[in-house]
Amino acid sequence: MVGLSVGEKHFIQGGIAQDLRTDGRRRLTYRPFNVETGVIPQANGSARVRLGGTDVIASVKAELGKPSPSQPDKGKVNIYVDCSPTAAPMFEGRGGEELSTELSGALQHCLLGGKSGAGAGIDLSSLVVVEGKVCWDLYIDGLVVSSDGNLLDALGAAIKAALTNTGIPKVEVAVGASGDGLPEVDISDDEYLQFDTSGVPVIVTLTKVGRHYIVDATLEEESQMSSAVSVSVSGQGRICGLIKRGGAGLDPSVILDMISVAKHVSEQLMNKLDSEISAAEACEEES
Amino acid sequence: MAGKSAATPSTYSPSPAPKTKRTIFQDVDWVRPDGRGFHQCRPAFLKTGAVNAASGSAYAEFGNTKVIVSVFGPRESKKAMAYSGTGRLNCNVSYTTFATPNRGQGSDHKGYSSMLHKALEGAIIVESFPKTTVDVFALVLESGGSDLPVVISCASLALADAGIMMYDLVASVSVSCLGKNLVIDPILEEESYQDGSLLITCMPSRNEVTQLTVNGEWSTPRVHEAMQICLEACSKLAKIIRSCLKETASAPKD
Repeated sequence: MVGLSVGEKHFIQGGIAQDLRTDGRRRLTYRPFNVETGVIPQANGSARVRLGGTDVIASVKAELGKPSPSQPDKGKVNIYVDCSPTAAPMFEGRGGEELSTELSGALQHCLLGGKSGAGAGIDLSSLVVVEGKVCWDLYIDGLVVSSDGNLLDALGAAIKAALTNTGIPKVEVAVGASGDGLPEVDISDDEYLQFDTSGVPVIVTLTKVGRHYIVDATLEEESQMSSAVSVSVSGQGRICGLIKRGGAGLDPSVILDMISVAKHVSEQLMNKLDSEISAAEACEEES
Repeated sequence: MAGKSAATPSTYSPSPAPKTKRTIFQDVDWVRPDGRGFHQCRPAFLKTGAVNAASGSAYAEFGNTKVIVSVFGPRESKKAMAYSGTGRLNCNVSYTTFATPNRGQGSDHKGYSSMLHKALEGAIIVESFPKTTVDVFALVLESGGSDLPVVISCASLALADAGIMMYDLVASVSVSCLGKNLVIDPILEEESYQDGSLLITCMPSRNEVTQLTVNGEWSTPRVHEAMQICLEACSKLAKIIRSCLKETASAPKD
């Protein structure tokens, strides 16, 4: 993205103040988005989300592993985001590392809930095979192919779609396993268990430009932001995670207002996303 | 002895706490392990000038959480970095290997450095030291719960001790949600069983929040309540930090 001139900056800020952004949207309108599932045949589940110019791919791979000793009845989930140099030349090598860690951290925060497992988007106890010995390790990888702002929301949507598409193979534990050693497990090739993703939250990022908040900022609008609040809201309207980004300080009453706006926007987003995902799944089954 | 096939472990690690402890927190009138009220913070001990070689430093002890922060700068930026008209802030948070009950568990908290950076960048006047870098190094000597808030508060004290210009002192507090209760400034044990946590960093005199992180499932009124509790605690903490600085400044020079 080329630098913005002073006139362009005023144009963006002025437009937002008047509820008319550069691409004609209103402050709380999302860009049209497109979801495709099953794009990576090698993975257990995958999805690609295009939100305007932003293009991200999420893939889910499941491997058998050992649960951690402090939580023997829960499986493990690892979320990692990679920013590809195709999105921006500065992402080559170590350049995109800071952004990747920030996004991975934010997603883990929003989707994995508190330490006791409450409020987690994914039910970790459903991932256990033999308590204390064998569990499923989910590796969720996000890839940013093209960036035009609002990466966090797009990645959140892609992960939700990928989890809906995920099939975990059925595992049969051999009877009469020895006491200490690992039990023998037989992974079936045909039968799959689908995830229940009604509990997975959506992430809504509200960017504050001047005195107003906008949803789904483009790269240019993000460069003008003073601060941003990303709220993860579940289907029942509960807040599953919140992160404030950006350097400027915010009044507490402003943050509370942003939370209520985010909850309002998340309802529409959740409905739209659910219908897009089911359309994508139906499309994939036909082909 | 001859029948033992598995090798005996060569090191002893404390065994993980039994699951039955979890139910204690669900009781209606459980008392916190250290006898504090739900909305009561641990008594704070703060001291500046802990490290002689640094431009500014501070040591903080909140119950069992002991943190030392040193600030170096403003120093010349590395030649590899591009010219910047405003100053740069570089933060690093590391744990000693003996800080946690199990050796080396500090590496679980790799994200703390960037969180410290986010908490401080809103408060420092970066235009006051262009072309240079201020380094903030935090070392957690003992982790007793609520580590990051203590690191942030201690770092702001160290920055003030170093004479770096700031808009206001930064104070940070975290609240844990345990079942129906909101407990402020949780200890390690309470943190391991928490259903959710809320970490807030604010500049009390300006009534501005520089960082807010919420984890776990919350309803909006809960978030309101938790933020109120935290903001009050932050302003009290800022007063304590201020009085510590005044003491240092008015102490007779030897």
